[in-house]
Amino acid sequence: MLFGCRGKPATNKHRMNTESSNFATRLRELIGNRQSAIGNSQFSELALELFALQFKCNPAYRKICEARKGTPQTVKHWPQIPAVPTAVFKELELTSLAPEERTAVFHSSGTTEQPPSRHFHCAESLAVYESSLWSWFSEYFQLPISNFHSPANGAGALEKLAIGNWQLAILTPPPEQVPHSSLVHMFETVRQKTGGAGVLASRAGFFGKLAADGAWALDFEATLAALTDGPKLKTQTQKLILGTAFSFVHLLDYLVERDLRFELPPGSRVLETGGYKNRSRTLAKAELHALIAERMGVPRKNIVCEYGMSELSSQAYDSGIHPRAFRFPPWVRVQIVSPETGCEVAEGETGLIRIFDLANVFSVVAIQTEDLGIRRGEDFELVGRAQLAEPRGCSLMNA
Amino acid sequence: MNLPNYFLADLPPEATLSPAMIVAACDTLKRNREKYLLSRSTDEIVKILCEVAAEWLQPDNKFRRHALELGPAQTGFSVATLARGLDEFFRRFTPENFQVMLAQDLGTDTDRRFWRGPNLLVHIAAGNLPNPALLSLTLGLLTRSAQFMKCASGAALLPRLFAHSIYELDPKLGTCLELAEWRGGHVALESALFAGADCVTATGGDETLLAIRSRLPAKTRFLGYGQRVSFGIVAREVLREEEISKVVARAADDVIDWNQNGCLSPHVIYVEERGAVESDKFAALLAAELMQREAAEPRGKISVEESADIAARRSMYETLAPHRGDIKLWSSPNSTAWTVVFEHEVRFRFSPLNRFIFIKPVPDVAAVLQGVDEIHGKVSTVGIAASPEKAKELALRFAGWGVTRVCPLGQMQNPPLTWRHDGRPAFGDLITWTDFEL
Repeated sequence: MLFGCRGKPATNKHRMNTESSNFATRLRELIGNRQSAIGNSQFSELALELFALQFKCNPAYRKICEARKGTPQTVKHWPQIPAVPTAVFKELELTSLAPEERTAVFHSSGTTEQPPSRHFHCAESLAVYESSLWSWFSEYFQLPISNFHSPANGAGALEKLAIGNWQLAILTPPPEQVPHSSLVHMFETVRQKTGGAGVLASRAGFFGKLAADGAWALDFEATLAALTDGPKLKTQTQKLILGTAFSFVHLLDYLVERDLRFELPPGSRVLETGGYKNRSRTLAKAELHALIAERMGVPRKNIVCEYGMSELSSQAYDSGIHPRAFRFPPWVRVQIVSPETGCEVAEGETGLIRIFDLANVFSVVAIQTEDLGIRRGEDFELVGRAQLAEPRGCSLMNA
Repeated sequence: MNLPNYFLADLPPEATLSPAMIVAACDTLKRNREKYLLSRSTDEIVKILCEVAAEWLQPDNKFRRHALELGPAQTGFSVATLARGLDEFFRRFTPENFQVMLAQDLGTDTDRRFWRGPNLLVHIAAGNLPNPALLSLTLGLLTRSAQFMKCASGAALLPRLFAHSIYELDPKLGTCLELAEWRGGHVALESALFAGADCVTATGGDETLLAIRSRLPAKTRFLGYGQRVSFGIVAREVLREEEISKVVARAADDVIDWNQNGCLSPHVIYVEERGAVESDKFAALLAAELMQREAAEPRGKISVEESADIAARRSMYETLAPHRGDIKLWSSPNSTAWTVVFEHEVRFRFSPLNRFIFIKPVPDVAAVLQGVDEIHGKVSTVGIAASPEKAKELALRFAGWGVTRVCPLGQMQNPPLTWRHDGRPAFGDLITWTDFEL
C-alpha cells in the first residue's frame, strides 16, 4: 500500500508532492549554505531518503527497482540505489510529477530522428536546478553568491547581481527559441544572476539563433562586435563566454576564414561544453582550446569545460589544468564502474560514469550515463561516449 | 617469435618508414615479379597455396603456433576463436576449390595469354579480422601481381605470418610480397605507394574509401569494399524439437565466429513465429548454447569502449524489460562475454557485436523485409535455416531485394573461395583481358 505523493486522489494538486517539496526545500537550503560540506554519512542519509521518496512517487522508476530487487527495504547504502540508464529517459516518463504538475521539460540534444530524453520539471524542481547550477557555477567562476533562499517559483524572483567589469556572451540561441534545452536554461539563469539583460547592451547576452533547419547557428557579426567592444578588434572589459564546443568551432572557423584574431582582456574566461553531435567538424579538446587561445587570446588555464546532461540537475567542471579532471558539487557523488562487472573500478582505471545527484529530486537520483571516464579520486577524467547504435562491420578498424 | 626481416612490417617498432623506402620496395617488388612470378603457371601457384594451407592446418606448424601464441594479445581473439577461424579458412584451400573459383571468374576462356593481373597490386587492409587480408594476398598471387599490403596499425600479425609461411615454402614467391604497417591517412607514405600501383583494393568505412579513391591517379583501378551488415533467418519448419539443437548450434557458430567482427556476421537473427519451438524459446536455447560454448571457446578480452557499448545496451534493455512484455535478456554474469536480446520490434538493429545478438520474432518473411528496409543496399549476407524448398524461395526473394550472398545459417563468416565480395568477382575484378577477335 502506498501513501503520500500521488497515492490518494488529490483535492489540491499542490499537496500531492508534499514530501518531495519538503526535500527540495531542505536541499536548496543545504546547497545555498556553501559553508557546510556534505559528508558521506549526510549524503548517504539524504540519498536513501530521496530514493525512498522516488520509489514511492515515481511509478516507472519503482517498476525498475522492483525488477532489480532494489527497494527501500533492501537498499542500505547509496551505491546500491538502482541507476537508470540515460537512454531509458527516451522511452519512459521517469518523473514524480503528475502530468498536470509538469510545467517544463528538458530534452537531450540528440539527432532529430530519435525520440529525445525527457526530464520533466515544475517550478520547484527548476528552483532546485537553478540553485544547484548557480552555486557550483559561481564557485568555479568565483562570482558573488546569490540568495538561494528565495521563494521557489519564479525565475523573476532571482536576485540580480552586479559582477563588476564582467561581460557575458552566450553562444547559444536564447531560451525562448529553445525552451527544451537544459543547457540554455542554465545559461539564462547565469545571465539573470549576473546582471540580467543589461549585460551586453541590446544583445541580451545570447548570440546564437535557430537556423531554418533547427540547427544552432551563431550571429557572427554581433558576436564579434560584442566580444571586441566595437569594430576595431580591441577589447576593454573582461569577458565570460559560454558556449557549446561546436559553437566555438563555428566561431573559430569564421575567425580563421577571415584571418581575424583578438585578445580578450586578461582574466576573461571561456566555458565550453558538450560534444559535437555532427553540428560542426570535430576537434580534440586540446586542439579546440589551442585555437581558442590563439584566436581569442584566452589562455588554456582560463578555459573551463562543463560536463552536464538534461537528465541531471547538477554539472561538473574541470579545473583547466592538466589532467583535466571533472568535479561535481558536494551534493553529487560519482562512481566509475567497470562495464564488464558493474563494480567500481580502481583509481586510474576507465569505466562508465554513474552519477548520484541529490538535485534530481523529482526524477531519479541515480543516473547511469553512456560516458566513459577515468577515476581520479573523487573526480573523473572524461574519455568520451560509448559509440552506441553506430553501425560496425568491416570498417572503422582500418586506422 | 623470431622471424627474419623479409618485410617492412618485420622491422622493429622504432623503425620509421619513409616515402623513399616505399618507392624502393615497390621497385623491388616489380623486378621480382618479372623474374620469379610471371613465368609461374596457375597450377603451380595453386599447388603452393594449398601446401601453405596444409601446413597451417598442422597443430605443430610454427606459423600457426605463433598466431595462436601472440594472436590473443594482438588481435583480442581467444586461442579457440583464432584456431577455429584459421582452420575454417585454410580448409577451403584445395585444388578443386581453386579450380571452381577460377572457372567461375575466367569462364572457359582460361588461356592466360589473354588476361593479366596488375603489375603492382596494393591492398589497404582492415584490421578487424585477418581472413580478408589473407584472401586478398592469395588472389593477388594467382593474378601474378607484385603485392604491397598496408596493414591496419596493430593488425599486421596474421598477414605477416601468412606471408612468411609463403616465403618459407617458396622464397621467390615471397619476394613478390611486401607488407607494412602504419596508421591510415599518412599522406606521404600513401602517395608514394599509390603512385606505383596499378590497382588498389581497400576495405573500410565509406569515408575511408572515398578518401583513398580521391587520392588515386585516374589510371589506377580502385576496388573498394565498403561497410556491410548481415542477418540471419530461421524458418518455422526447422523450429522442431528434433532439429532445434542443430539449428541453435549453427546460430551460435555465426555469433562466435570472429566474435561477429566481420561484415558477414549477423547483427540480428529473425525467427518465424508459430514454430513447434517458439521464438523466445529459441532465444533461450541460443543463450544456453553461448554460455556453454564460452567455456571452451571464450570470447576473449575487448576494449573498454566495446565493453561499455555492450554494458550500456544491456542495461537499457534490462531496464525496459519490466515495462514491456516483449523484451527478454540473457547475458553472461560478471562479464560482457555474450548477450541475447529478444524483442518484438521488427526493425533491424545494429549490434555492438562481440557476441551480442538480437533475436526478433516475425510472422513471416515479408515482415523481415520491412524490418531491414533501412539497411537496403548495405546488406552482405543472409544466413538461412529452412527446409530446402523454403531456403530456395527465400534466397530468390532476398536476391531480388538486393542481398549479395545467401548461405546456410552457421556458415555466414565462412564464405567459399568462389564468394563474390559485395556481389563482384573478387578475382575477376583484379585482372585485365585482351579481347582477341581474329
